[in-house]
Amino acid sequence: MAHPSQLGFQDAASPIMEELLHFHDHALMIVFLISTLVLYIIVAMVTTKLTNKFILDSQEIEIIWTLLPAIILILIALPSLRILYLMDEINDPHLTIKAMGHQWYWSYEYTDYEDLGFDSYMIPTQDLTPGQFRLLETDHRMVIPVESPIRVLVSAEDVLHSWAVPSLGVKMDAVPGRLNQTAFITSRPGVFYGQCSEICGANHSFMPIVVEAVPLEYFENWSFLMLQDA
Amino acid sequence: MSLAKPMMRGLLAKRLRFHLPIAFGLSFVAAIAFKYMVTEPRKQAYADFYKQYDSVKEFNAMREAGIFQSVRPSGE
Repeated sequence: MAHPSQLGFQDAASPIMEELLHFHDHALMIVFLISTLVLYIIVAMVTTKLTNKFILDSQEIEIIWTLLPAIILILIALPSLRILYLMDEINDPHLTIKAMGHQWYWSYEYTDYEDLGFDSYMIPTQDLTPGQFRLLETDHRMVIPVESPIRVLVSAEDVLHSWAVPSLGVKMDAVPGRLNQTAFITSRPGVFYGQCSEICGANHSFMPIVVEAVPLEYFENWSFLMLQDA
Repeated sequence: MSLAKPMMRGLLAKRLRFHLPIAFGLSFVAAIAFKYMVTEPRKQAYADFYKQYDSVKEFNAMREAGIFQSVRPSGE
């Protein structure tokens, strides 16, 4: 989850998110390069006594300020396309989970082997225990095995929602009547938080997502216990 | 006595020859500074973190801290 006054991205918990962080650094470096250049030129233009407005022909500079942006855009596009294709790699998931958006909670279905399904409601602020995070905790978390490719099928039962977990680099719109697919691998065990990312009514801000990544044997124990409770 | 003829042409070109190299130089310095103060340290930090990462040890530490819902601390 985010720290107070945090400006940048959350720490990456999946390989794709790490790639996205590095790409963002690359793009921001280019942004700083261009911004510094433009700022210097603006200051130089504002402080000049040369004010002749009638300038004819300027083929050299026209060529420069056409070619240079084209080159810069290519330098941005190449790593961007690399990540785009990385995200679409065939990944042979070990587990498929359906995440259904409702007003105003998520429900998860694990139907690969047995029929396991449960709802995930936000824990109200007054019911939080010390150490829990306000507006981020849920009564039932989406538990997954760590370091395993997971496929999430996202849809909605009523209005548009969006299933997002920033530290995993995942966001997928939940559209009623449509099944969207996303996939990820968690690099390390832990608890990862997200929030609904498409306006969906009064409690849009109060339907968070919590993903809990644990080793496989604990995931199997958990799913066995959940099936018994159902 | 006569005054020297002032420079009447090429004033903009002269200004550009002075300022443009500085402008490009400064912007490359800014980009390189960002690369070596932010981008490379971040890549190194992630590489260092995962080089010695023991996921079982970390998982057990998190478990004992009680943060998981699916796995209770070993005493419980």
